[in-house]
Amino acid sequence: MQSKEHSLGFGLGLRPAHYTAILDSQPAVDWFEVLTENYLVGGGRPLHYLDAIRARYPVVMHGVSMSIGSTEPLDLAYLDSVRELAHRCEPKWISDHLCWTGTAGHNLHDLLPLPYTQAALDHLAPRIAAVQERLGRPLVLENVSSYVSYTESAISEWEFLGELVRRTGCRLLLDINNVYVSSRNHGFDARAFIDGVPLEAVQQFHLAGHLDLGRHVIDTHDAPVCEAVWELYAYALNRFGEVATLLERDDHIPPLDELVAELERARTTARATLVRAA
Amino acid sequence: MMPLDELQRTAQASVLGGGPPPAVLERELAPPAAERWAIYVDAYRLRLVDALATQYPALASRLGRDQFDACARRFIAAQPSTHRSLRDYGSELPAFLLAGADTDEARMQSDLAAFEWRLAAAFDAPDASACTIAELAGLAPDEWPGLCFAAVPSLQRLSTRSNAVAVWREARQTLQRDPAAGPLAAPAAEYGATAHWLIVRPELDTEFRSLAAAEAAALDQLLAGASFAELCEQLSTSRDDAAVTAATWLKGWLTEGLLLRV
Repeated sequence: MQSKEHSLGFGLGLRPAHYTAILDSQPAVDWFEVLTENYLVGGGRPLHYLDAIRARYPVVMHGVSMSIGSTEPLDLAYLDSVRELAHRCEPKWISDHLCWTGTAGHNLHDLLPLPYTQAALDHLAPRIAAVQERLGRPLVLENVSSYVSYTESAISEWEFLGELVRRTGCRLLLDINNVYVSSRNHGFDARAFIDGVPLEAVQQFHLAGHLDLGRHVIDTHDAPVCEAVWELYAYALNRFGEVATLLERDDHIPPLDELVAELERARTTARATLVRAA
Repeated sequence: MMPLDELQRTAQASVLGGGPPPAVLERELAPPAAERWAIYVDAYRLRLVDALATQYPALASRLGRDQFDACARRFIAAQPSTHRSLRDYGSELPAFLLAGADTDEARMQSDLAAFEWRLAAAFDAPDASACTIAELAGLAPDEWPGLCFAAVPSLQRLSTRSNAVAVWREARQTLQRDPAAGPLAAPAAEYGATAHWLIVRPELDTEFRSLAAAEAAALDQLLAGASFAELCEQLSTSRDDAAVTAATWLKGWLTEGLLLRV
């Protein structure tokens, strides 16, 4: 078990519905994760509140449109706008997803999985390196929830992530809920995923809720974290130690107090797990 | 092995066109690949419908859920997203609605959408320090004729041919009411009379007002690059008090924070 000195602690995804409540109540949240694309705008209320909240809390930038796995050329204008936003809000790190979101100029606004092949690794590694060069910092990549897999995949998702870390020095955002969702959808052991991810590469955890339809599970971020994901979180804490943990909610967003209370469960889970492991 | 670019082109075509899933999906898992792939196909449309409902809340309120959903899906089929951010999707909806409009209600809906898109454009446009009356107070008299201005980034000029803004006001009030109270009586669509609007965001809050035709034409002329002297000259062809009128309007526009000095 590792103890990471630089964990940011326990954070929430920043959502416009909570802007004024955050500034008024200054909740016991260690940091906020901002959705990059929401702030790639000229000005007005979004950047005003980002600046005001950044003045009080550390932030991390989390994007959904880098499309690092796409076979179309990297969008340098997009990357430059991300870099400009980073210059403005000085995030602790910048993350996006290990996926593709579209090709040939289209955006499907979804996080589509890649086949886990040597060819995909060969495609991704130089793109990740180019992004890191452009942004001047390591890229933090998140494992996505997926509903399909490819016959061509030759290695597991966690082996694929590990190889990307080895080749590029990128960091990982381990989404515990996504591990759970994909494990249910594809029938793998979620703990094997946690055990298979490179120990030192994990920069951040995500926790979120999902929709369990029985036959499959959909990553909806519209509900509290379920018990199985809390258990998997504790399992991950045992392996990785203290890692910056972020609670996400994107739909059916409750009052800020409710999310702060749910985040407190992450804090107490981490405290109890890490004390036991010490 | 299917090359990655071919896999992505095939998969994207399936999502956009609703065609069969890519042949390289794992098929031995349950539920079947087609059912799993449908999650992506459905999510694309649901996400864009949601984005349009966010950008066009009054239009969505006017149409009601089912009709808005059907309208949004027709638009999405015609206009795939090419934007990094969902915020930028949907600018073509007003033109799309107008192209298919064959009733006053439908034409009004196009105006309503145009008005909402412009409100959104003002909402997060770049901040700017507008030129103030005080900045011009120290100008020498001979500097006034050559004065030129540009619009602050948030300024939107829009002309409608319907009562879309009245409909917008009603829809907004309905959206702010307790849903249990039910919707307000919706005004019937009226089409034909031109109305001019300016929308601007001086600080964080977006404001709008109507403009008389003469003031709208003068503001448009100024924003197109005409100098103050040229504005006065143009006005003098239709009125005797051209200089006084131009100065009065300019003072108002400066007070409202509409202009940058160039």
